[in-house]
Amino acid sequence: MANKIKISGSDALILSLIAEGTDVMFGYPGGQVIPLYDRLYDYKDRIRHILTRHEQGAAHAAQGYARATGKVGVCVSTSGPGATNLLTGIADAMLDSTPMVCITGQVPSAILGTDAFQEADIISMSMPITKWNYQVTTASEIASAVAKAFYIARSGRPGPVLIDITKNAQVEEVDFTYRPCTGLRSYNPKPKMNGSAAEVVELVNAAKRPLILAGQGVKLAGAEKALVEFAEIGNIPVATTLMGISAIPNSHPLFVGNLGMHGNVAPNEMSQAADLLIAIGMRFSDRVTGAINAYAPNAKIVHVDIDPAELGKNLRCDVPIHADALEALEAFKIGLKHVDRDEWFAFAKEKAEEEKHNVKGFCGEACNGFITMSQVIQKLAEVEEGDAVIVTDVGQNQMFSARYSKFNATRSFITSGGLGTMGFGLPAAMGAKVGVPQREVVAILGDGGFQMTMQELGTIMQNKIGVKILVLNNSYLGMVRQWQELFFNSRYSFTELENPDFAKIASAYDIPAKRIIKPEELEGALREMKEAKGSYFLEVAVLPQENVFPMIPAGASLSNMLMSND
Amino acid sequence: MNKEYIIVAFTENQVGVLNRITIAYLRRKINIESLKVSETSMKGISMFVISAFTTEETIQKLTRAIRNIVEVIQVSYYTSDELITQEIALYKISSKFFGEGGRIDAISRELGARMIEISPGYVVMEKTGTREEIEQLRDRLERQGVLLEFTRSGSVVLHRDSLDNILGLESGEEE
Repeated sequence: MANKIKISGSDALILSLIAEGTDVMFGYPGGQVIPLYDRLYDYKDRIRHILTRHEQGAAHAAQGYARATGKVGVCVSTSGPGATNLLTGIADAMLDSTPMVCITGQVPSAILGTDAFQEADIISMSMPITKWNYQVTTASEIASAVAKAFYIARSGRPGPVLIDITKNAQVEEVDFTYRPCTGLRSYNPKPKMNGSAAEVVELVNAAKRPLILAGQGVKLAGAEKALVEFAEIGNIPVATTLMGISAIPNSHPLFVGNLGMHGNVAPNEMSQAADLLIAIGMRFSDRVTGAINAYAPNAKIVHVDIDPAELGKNLRCDVPIHADALEALEAFKIGLKHVDRDEWFAFAKEKAEEEKHNVKGFCGEACNGFITMSQVIQKLAEVEEGDAVIVTDVGQNQMFSARYSKFNATRSFITSGGLGTMGFGLPAAMGAKVGVPQREVVAILGDGGFQMTMQELGTIMQNKIGVKILVLNNSYLGMVRQWQELFFNSRYSFTELENPDFAKIASAYDIPAKRIIKPEELEGALREMKEAKGSYFLEVAVLPQENVFPMIPAGASLSNMLMSND
Repeated sequence: MNKEYIIVAFTENQVGVLNRITIAYLRRKINIESLKVSETSMKGISMFVISAFTTEETIQKLTRAIRNIVEVIQVSYYTSDELITQEIALYKISSKFFGEGGRIDAISRELGARMIEISPGYVVMEKTGTREEIEQLRDRLERQGVLLEFTRSGSVVLHRDSLDNILGLESGEEE
């Protein structure tokens, strides 16, 4: 890469992306990126560009790609509206620590600030939701900006970065050499472990009721194996956050379930009863803790995070460990003892039984012949046997997917955790499938979220992306409906949807499609979806009144879980 | 308890850093009382001095959030008595305060100020001092009804430690 050649800024950008290992980008052309797209035409054999149907779809697809592969996702848009359409995906990636490089076109530098056609101040707009951003106004800055962008996006706590490139910089000629960025004096993404591993080990050895809370940081650090080893050596139960799901297989005997508002009874009750919480790569979000003052009243808190701003941000912290999750988990194994904790595991089992007994799907036998969402996800888990990548939208579909899906491998559950972005599911699933084409990828969507980004069916058709699409149609914005029922006297204010025939829409995009309404059709339809070679669309009409339980009402303590409507 | 905290941050001297830092205040709805940015004696490194009223818990979290900005090299927070702090203020004072000619020098010495400009209608004085000293003079002139205009620099601060020690990247956790 060290040999100098004179090329256009657009070529420099493309060669820089290739040098960083980019093989796919999701994008949408427009006035201020036409020079870039013109050059892209000649690199079709080296970079696969996927034309989405909306820039938001490009951003979410890049996220899905990044989350499934661990690589940096790349998306491109033009200036102005193209750039502003990326913002939802960027904000989502910021909250969920997803490495992403977004490239936006910009008006020529000579007319910046003049309210030129399709000019938007995307640097200012994206500043609070990017890890870093930069405006390039000359071709000579391109290589170093891209190098810095990738380095920042993928190192430390990953996140989205944005490079805004003026049109003149895309067409100017430049002497091109590419040097990857290996460090910045103001940025220390991977510090030496700060905190005492010995102190942690001592606490763990002495604990009667310890619980590991595993977040997405475990996946981001590639620490899944180390997590399991640490848990096994110490005989410590493991719970995952929504973002941590699939970091440990569901079948692992030490796995006790998911935390949070719609998590399992056992890990939530265990958080309250624990004498030690070992939090790894998670951030004690309000969805995990419930009322923070009543959270984990008896526990000492060990908190491991690569982002020091997280330590003590939401919750008191007795032993802060500023470190990469892998490094910390390896260090925690030294001197760790296997401790029998029969009472503690019996407690976990008892709480799991309690959940089984109290949360019986929605209405058991009395569903008037309707299929329920919980049935669909449980049946899907059976059919897919834990090997599929599940990508969800947001709402009830997401919570049922988190509750009932089963996973054998990491990076298999992709969801919008922090921002809760409806419309995320379909484009993210598309990006995931592009990233891991050998794996089965299923998008689980509600009828509301599907309609926010359903134009991406066109992208799936044109690029032959073999993603499976499962729409749980209850003709409601179900999660809001649930809150209205439980907390707003069943006043269903603007949550009922009159929907089109979704299967017809999918068929119009040449995607094999089916709609089912009867419970006896369910298993056959799911198997047909699984067997389909390419993309497949299955709409399941489900019971409108089904609610997700257990549920911890917003602001309540974890000890006050609702198990049913009554 | 709300109290004045001064954040002193050393950053790369680059476009946009100021925005990123003020966004950290904005999203927590904290009003900035004064803000000064200038290049330090080290080329390419800027120093920010930002004062705001908030709680210690909030300023701790804010400091960590600012530390996470890629271009920020070092950041710490202080209460006002922990720093060598001076402000510069300019006072535009009505000529009638000085009465007959010849007394301006004496008065400016008495006020601890320096004369910058004399016009037929007013005199501009400059005073350097602590915030209290600056405020005392302002109060006195206002009480006498002779203060026409007033402007101040915001805190200009120096660490007691050397810049090399402060920025030394080996020095572990700084907060």
